[in-house]
Amino acid sequence: MKCYELIVIGAGPAGLSAAIEAAKRGMSVVVYDENSKPGGQLFKQIHKFFGSKEHHAKVRGFRIGEELLEEASKQCVKVVLNATVIGIFPEKEVTVKIEDHVEHVKGDTILIATGASENMVTFPGWTLPGVIGAGAAQTMMNLHGILPGERVLMLGTGNVGLVVSFQLLQAGCEVVALADAAPRVGGYGVHAAKVARCGVPFYLSHTIISAEGNDHVTGVTIGEVDSNWQIIPNSEKHFDVDTICLAVGLSPMSKLCDMAGCEMEDSPAKAGFVPKVNEYGETSVSGIYAAGDVSGIEEASSAMIEGRIAGIAAAAKLGYITEEEGKKQITEQEEALNGLRQGMFAPGMRGQKITTTEEGIAISENLLSHGYVSDEEIDRFPGVTHKSGIHPVIECTQNIPCNPCQDACKMHCIKVGEHITSLPQVDPVGKCTGCGMCVASCSGQAIFLLNEDCGDGTAEITMPYEFLPLPEIGDKGTAWSRKGEPVCKAEVVSVKSIKAYDKTNLLTIKVPKEFAMKARFFRKEVLV
Amino acid sequence: MNADVIIVGGGIIGCAAAYNLAKDGVSVIVLEGSANIGNGGSVRNGGGVRQSGRDPRELPLIMYAIKNIWPNLSDLLDTNVEYHQQGNLRLGHSEKNKQILEGLTERAVKCDLDVRMITGDEAREINPYLSDAVTCASWCPTDGHANPLTATMGYYKAARRLGAHFISDEKIVELRKIKGRVCQAVSASGNIYEGSKIILAAGYESRYIASTVGVDIPMQPVLLETLVTEAVSPMFWQMLGTADADFYGHQTDHGSFVFGLNCGLEPYAKPGKPVSSSIASSAACRGIMRYFPSLEDIKVIRCWAGWMDSCADHVPVISPVEEAKGLILACGFSGHGFGISPAVGLVLSQMAQDKETVLDMHELRYDRFRP
Amino acid sequence: MNDRSRELKPFVPAPDDDMIICRCEEITKGEIRKAVHDGMFTLTEIRRYLRTGMGLCQGQTCTKLVKGIVARELGVKPSELGSATGRAPMRPIEMKILANDGGGKK
Repeated sequence: MKCYELIVIGAGPAGLSAAIEAAKRGMSVVVYDENSKPGGQLFKQIHKFFGSKEHHAKVRGFRIGEELLEEASKQCVKVVLNATVIGIFPEKEVTVKIEDHVEHVKGDTILIATGASENMVTFPGWTLPGVIGAGAAQTMMNLHGILPGERVLMLGTGNVGLVVSFQLLQAGCEVVALADAAPRVGGYGVHAAKVARCGVPFYLSHTIISAEGNDHVTGVTIGEVDSNWQIIPNSEKHFDVDTICLAVGLSPMSKLCDMAGCEMEDSPAKAGFVPKVNEYGETSVSGIYAAGDVSGIEEASSAMIEGRIAGIAAAAKLGYITEEEGKKQITEQEEALNGLRQGMFAPGMRGQKITTTEEGIAISENLLSHGYVSDEEIDRFPGVTHKSGIHPVIECTQNIPCNPCQDACKMHCIKVGEHITSLPQVDPVGKCTGCGMCVASCSGQAIFLLNEDCGDGTAEITMPYEFLPLPEIGDKGTAWSRKGEPVCKAEVVSVKSIKAYDKTNLLTIKVPKEFAMKARFFRKEVLV
Repeated sequence: MNADVIIVGGGIIGCAAAYNLAKDGVSVIVLEGSANIGNGGSVRNGGGVRQSGRDPRELPLIMYAIKNIWPNLSDLLDTNVEYHQQGNLRLGHSEKNKQILEGLTERAVKCDLDVRMITGDEAREINPYLSDAVTCASWCPTDGHANPLTATMGYYKAARRLGAHFISDEKIVELRKIKGRVCQAVSASGNIYEGSKIILAAGYESRYIASTVGVDIPMQPVLLETLVTEAVSPMFWQMLGTADADFYGHQTDHGSFVFGLNCGLEPYAKPGKPVSSSIASSAACRGIMRYFPSLEDIKVIRCWAGWMDSCADHVPVISPVEEAKGLILACGFSGHGFGISPAVGLVLSQMAQDKETVLDMHELRYDRFRP
Repeated sequence: MNDRSRELKPFVPAPDDDMIICRCEEITKGEIRKAVHDGMFTLTEIRRYLRTGMGLCQGQTCTKLVKGIVARELGVKPSELGSATGRAPMRPIEMKILANDGGGKK
């Protein structure tokens, strides 16, 4: 029987990262994935990632996937696609379906990195064609180039719901509303803000009452829920839509672990039925590891680190590095992992109500209940300062582990500091050159360059812009507020798209100066 | 806790006994060691309700069940047990197979069973999906099959409705004799259940439990494996088996096929949690496709493994124990307990009530193994 | 959970009882709720009795939904219910492919 020193199941961020680390240390590694493309969810992620430099911050997800694949091939990792692992049997035997046959292979160690599947919620009509997972919508758009529909309602305001809503807008769909049964936006505020300013209304404490249609979705009715999740009478709102996207969480796809005999636990904190693992990701079955979403739902960056840890641990187990070296290398990775698991959205914070930032600033309640920071709230955050001449305005209001803006500014105008979750501060005397690198570096698209008074009664606002077709200099249109409402006339005065911006275009518009702190988006249609 | 009868084991035998006792107004507690009712071979078998191929000693039980219970069981239990009586085909493809089948047929005929040898063509007339590889078969038109899952859960549901008290996750580790009678069952958590009769129907584990009152039955766990396919349109309703015994099974009401597997290594499976082997389902698929080529595109969706209680002489022990008064054994079913379970449940309830049993159970006594 | 005679609140029909929960096997919410009242207290028992999660998707979509319904009917937390066992094959596989594993060539 064919034998590998490490069999990796799942070529996503965790699996590939483990394979690279193990192969780097001399192990023979095979990676099986049931899909025709490797990378797991990474190749669907067209947005820039958060984090620090070490975590591929400000790199778009699919690029991270490409980098991992390149590195894997350099390390002679064998990646087998369209290869479905159908079982794990005693003595670490794995059966894999490849094309028209089944292969039996043995692993000295096995890593299960099978990821997660999307949750569903039920309501009358939930089985109609047109009700799909948000992840499925993302697959259709970003992998297959197919629009899931024309008019979409998104249920769920976690990061998946927010990111996919924005991508639906980018793809040209109309997102009629975002609804969530929870009273507060679940995902990053910056993701919410970029959707809100495009004019998408947020309905918190709302859930779907029913989907309408005979053979496909033609409409949806949502309603407000009280604290017992019961619909409040007469709170119904109806939308004509052809698509309902559900972004209501993920569940670990852990059945292989169960089959392999790993001790399992039902953990609400890890979002489902997961194998119990030690600090190296090893399950109760010696030599079988689990990493990534399969052992607890998090995100791609932590999955990559968990994968690396498992890969290093496997190498130590099989004697390719000493136990001591292994421990040291794993400690480094654990530090990186701890760096990610910080701030308001850390795994340990789930369900906790946060009222102030780490700096002691009252959080934006409006952001949590409506998806955008209100005009009254925005000035209290340290990234928002006012001065004459061009300067950055950073509308970053939540403590998340992310700091590329700090390095992006060569003039050192922006400071996050030692603590990666701190809110970025703008140096009041910094010499901003208006290079725009900070704008393009912000994965949350929350940095704007402002010249609040150009001397002629106008102000200029430079914003990140990721829609096509790109407006042109001289285009006249409308500036939109954070709330997503047209506020004033605007004219495009500059459009920059240089390679270093990595496809985040910088659009500069001119507006009457009283709208300098209000205008945050531009549309070509003249509405005011 | 007390009841007239304590039943150790919540499989189909325990559930059927509980149903029959509760129907007679007898108070019953059923103790299931695992978290789920029907956890052993009860729900992991091919669903055969057949007389052909059986040892003459257990034939009366199956013939009684087919005549008197199976036809009405769905109504009785208010659960569709999916009983079909459309015959059993045991297939052969060689001269050696033919000899095996002829031997089985001869023995069955001696017991007044309507079984006969047929040719490959006759078999294909009964089941047009059979391949040309089939050269002979034995045919028993009164055999059939049912759904082991709904039959087991149906007995449980009906017994529960009649007031039988079921407790799961309550593993019995010891029986106790009190003043000369076996009347207590002690659980791993230390709970004591007391009744005037104790029915022990705990699969292969019955052996360890019985030994706590000095009774031993020569049996051991042997692995059984089953595979289930996706649902397809109805094709045929016969129960199937082969002379090679490499698979057996049928198509269910639901449309899926349920096949029991046999790759020869089952008796040597490692003890502990039953696990599917990596090769048995593939081997079974080859066997199935040899006889039914048109099933080759049907998808397999699940495989199961479980322990059967294989008795030294391959028939069960259904018997009160003289030296352990109060104890009634129902174990060692050796992989063919499902079909006879309705009759066994009835007989056990009669034994527990000291009534005369509807069938003579002498041949299945516990002390028959003495040379 | 292990005392199968524990008192449940009486079964009250609900307006959404005809809503399909397990899409592969077309099992409704009402059927699941009734099964609980008939003594099917675990996901495995529900599965044996109704076939929920035994279809082509192997319960990937409905397991959490069924769990929620059963938990509510029993008045317990979903996480107390455990999970149905993971079994091979992890994905549906044609018999001819499963058969083609290099064996049977003697």
